[in-house]
Amino acid sequence: MLDNEAVCLYALGERVYATQDRCPHGNASLSEGYIEDCLIECPLHQGLFDIETGKPKGPPVTTDLKCYEVKVNDGTVYLRTAGP
Amino acid sequence: MDTPTTCSNVGRQNPVESPVHIERRWPADGYTRIPYWVYTDAAVFQKEMDVFFAGNTWNYLGLDCEVPEVGCYKRNWIGTRPVIMVRTENGEIAVLENRCAHRGAQICWQNTGKVNDFTCPYHQWNYDLNGNLQGLPFKRGVMGKGGMPRDFDPKQHGIRKLRSVNRGGTIWATFSDEAPTFEEYCGPEVLAEIDQVFPGKKLTLLGYTRQLIPSNWKMYIENLKDPYHATLLHTFYITFGLWRADSKSENYPIPNSGHSVMISHNEGKKVTEATPEMQRFRTDLEMLDRETVTPKKEFNGGRVGGAWVFPAAAVGIQANTLKTRHVIPRSPTEHELVFTYYGYEDDDEDMTRRRLKQANLLGPAGFVSMDDSEMLTQCQIGATGYPHEAGIIEMGGRDTERTDYMVSEVLIRGFYRYYIEAMGF
Repeated sequence: MLDNEAVCLYALGERVYATQDRCPHGNASLSEGYIEDCLIECPLHQGLFDIETGKPKGPPVTTDLKCYEVKVNDGTVYLRTAGP
Repeated sequence: MDTPTTCSNVGRQNPVESPVHIERRWPADGYTRIPYWVYTDAAVFQKEMDVFFAGNTWNYLGLDCEVPEVGCYKRNWIGTRPVIMVRTENGEIAVLENRCAHRGAQICWQNTGKVNDFTCPYHQWNYDLNGNLQGLPFKRGVMGKGGMPRDFDPKQHGIRKLRSVNRGGTIWATFSDEAPTFEEYCGPEVLAEIDQVFPGKKLTLLGYTRQLIPSNWKMYIENLKDPYHATLLHTFYITFGLWRADSKSENYPIPNSGHSVMISHNEGKKVTEATPEMQRFRTDLEMLDRETVTPKKEFNGGRVGGAWVFPAAAVGIQANTLKTRHVIPRSPTEHELVFTYYGYEDDDEDMTRRRLKQANLLGPAGFVSMDDSEMLTQCQIGATGYPHEAGIIEMGGRDTERTDYMVSEVLIRGFYRYYIEAMGF
């Protein structure tokens, strides 16, 4: 949880990504979904998002996910919540 | 019609095969008689749903102004089948079955509204505005277990979209791939009536009245095709001159179809030789606010009435009130009646007020229409008690030729002439 909003973390190869966890379409948790290449598929209605950019990539989703800038330092994951 | 007839015509409404077999014999006098079992028999009702509503007919859905924006929908019924008309992303109107592909639940439970897409409340299967299945929960199972078979293809499990058409802002649909075009289906006379009151101007929705009438749906249709009763039953019409036995009028059944056109001319309150015949003419009644019964001159030049578009809709104008009527059969002995009132975008405030005010004649508490729903209730009680008896439809003769006078049952005969053949009696 971050600022009262659930966050979903993804490990793609060596890199870690973070987006909002709540699917904007059907109120489902993306962390229960499926990763295919660099896409996350929502478990409820199979909407697809690009994990890196948050862009919708397949229906029924039409709005962007909020993405967080990620830094991994010594095994700890940090997210940027506001500008520098 | 003692021997079942096969329909050999190649006209605009070829009957559809129905698996329902009916052991009934139509009276020997043909379409001048209506056996009362047509108003009570469950098998007859089911066959009507199959042959007419689900067959090669075009059915009324609504007005395009009822769904002004993308995602706006209206729920309706074609016979007993629930359907949805919805404005899709490209701005066109689609007509969908209101039935989840999964378990059959209505995906849309409200009469009108606006959505981004449709989600069935039962298992949350989700469809786009064209009825395509977009996704379903747990397609891949939970915690690696279960889920739909790998070859389950959402593209094969969408909601059926019906053929539909927009004519001057009225939306119609058919379940049949074989039905002719809407224009062919209506024919020139009915189409002319639709075009007169829906000339392509932008429409404004003014409101609805809805009511449940405890009678067979055909009784309502027959009532609309029966100007004879209007001159006798409706005190309000007779006294205030909107519809009288001596009004100039035209009735024409459209051959080889269930359609008809009925036209009359507003002539105002008057006393003629025919007046003493009208027992319900009340010289002692005077309306202080005459506006309710005084149409303002407009495009129709006092010509009122309209067309019945088989099976279950009518369009037309009464005084200045523009409206559609839609009959929704619920069971052999029950139907719902919906009036939709509308105007034109270029109506001024005064005309809009008149269209609404004169609508007080119609609907469940209408000065005129309330007589009809009460009368149909009484007819159903009689028919239910005596299904082996038959009604007599001989006013104005035994034929189905068009008439230029009011007191005739020709339109009912024309309807049953078509009905007997289409139903295979």
